[in-house]
Amino acid sequence: MAQLRPGREVVVAGVGLHPFGRFPDKELSDLALEAVVESLKDAGVRWKDIPIAYFGHVYYHGMSLGETTLSKLGLTGVPIVNVENACSSGSTAFWQAYWGIATGIYDMALAFGAEKVPRGPVTVTAEDAPERYIGGDHMMAGYALRARRYMEETGAPATALAQVSVKARQNASLNPYAHRKDIYSLEEVLQSRMIADPLTLYQCCPTSEGAAAAVLCARESLPQYGIDESRAVSIAAAVLTSGEYNGRGADHSAFSPYRTEPAALQAYEMSGLAPEDVDLVQVHDAASIGELQQVESLHLVPFGEAWQATVEGRTALTGDIPVNTDGGLLAMGHPFGASGIRMIHETVTQLRQEAGPRQVTRARVGVAQCSGAGDVTTVHILKK
Amino acid sequence: MPESVDPRRLRITNDEGTEGTLIGFRCRECGVSVFGPATFCQSCTSFDLEAVDLGREGSLFSYTIVRIPPAGWPGPVPYVLGQVELPAGPQVLAEVIDCEHSELTIGMPVELAIQAVSSQEGGEDKLVYKWRPASV
Repeated sequence: MAQLRPGREVVVAGVGLHPFGRFPDKELSDLALEAVVESLKDAGVRWKDIPIAYFGHVYYHGMSLGETTLSKLGLTGVPIVNVENACSSGSTAFWQAYWGIATGIYDMALAFGAEKVPRGPVTVTAEDAPERYIGGDHMMAGYALRARRYMEETGAPATALAQVSVKARQNASLNPYAHRKDIYSLEEVLQSRMIADPLTLYQCCPTSEGAAAAVLCARESLPQYGIDESRAVSIAAAVLTSGEYNGRGADHSAFSPYRTEPAALQAYEMSGLAPEDVDLVQVHDAASIGELQQVESLHLVPFGEAWQATVEGRTALTGDIPVNTDGGLLAMGHPFGASGIRMIHETVTQLRQEAGPRQVTRARVGVAQCSGAGDVTTVHILKK
Repeated sequence: MPESVDPRRLRITNDEGTEGTLIGFRCRECGVSVFGPATFCQSCTSFDLEAVDLGREGSLFSYTIVRIPPAGWPGPVPYVLGQVELPAGPQVLAEVIDCEHSELTIGMPVELAIQAVSSQEGGEDKLVYKWRPASV
């Protein structure tokens, strides 16, 4: 395992977001550029100040998509890197931007992500893969297998899983950028169309369109660019991991089925912070069960207890561990390349105390955790 | 006779294409078995592997009833998807057939079933491994 030696301090200087939803009249580059321009303005820098850009996206809209997108702003000759890491593509772009600055190669970097995800169940494998005959390539079926196992081992009732979606919608109702802003009752979540037992439609994230962007900068370089240091948010840890195979196959167990736990432990070590220091968290809730398991894997509650914490309101905006304060994947929707940076956007907004009606009371340390196919996990810890 | 959907995971053992065994590799150093192809042990990275039959039995680790199938799914809807643990340790995800939804329980014994499946997308027929409740 690589030694995580933090180099010089890196901050998020600016963030930008294009609303998530469906935008048939806009091209992918339109979405992306709105987010990018917003992030530049938020940081107070100009396009010519950006020395490198990383672009997270998954679906194919032509080669060198980052270059063709940014060419509409005007090409400046800087390196532009296209990043595909499934649902973690955006957060992987952010991770690369962090390390480019931390190691001293660049003073500033742009990380952005955008996606127009087609409608319908998401598959991972190629069209001629054996999995297409076997029927196992179904993201929500995978989550359903974990949900069944979790319920069996913890005694969590179906209503506890559904409560995750109710909370997501409540948070999103306070967020103008969310794809789904209507509040649903527990009954409505449970009675929505069954996708893969026990997960109903409203417990599965919508596939969406949207974009997000962040400008990162070395703290010591902020004065040079005239960036307002009081709004800068420090990146205390940036960790990316992939699967650790054990011969058993895909992990659908009740506890820590994703590779979040080892990534989280690295992130806590790198930051010098502990789970008790975390004030709010954004996790990969592609399905309701995902949020419960991720919160446990981040050691924010003991294994098997996240469902109770949810029922008790501890993960709500007013709870002691607010989770997915902007509505998460379940209500924001999930444009793959954008989602990881959307989590950074929300964390930065909360830590700056600029989240308006969904502002949590205590917001000094925030975690953003994003998963992707291939057991990819990113964990970023941000600190004000 | 159609071919195995993945000859590295399922070996057909009779001429009719109705019998077969799951196959994989076992590590001679650490003893961990894997389902399907392996270049080296996926636990300890040793190259010292032996090809093994992983048999035709297992127990249901978890399951779901898929109501909205993935694109191109050639079978009936809904269908049951079962994650099955083999005695040697690996888990194998496949359709569970010949079962009532109400009789599904975690831990129930299941056995291998092989069925010819025709691709919805115009590909060749394949012999696919599935699970069914174990005959007592």
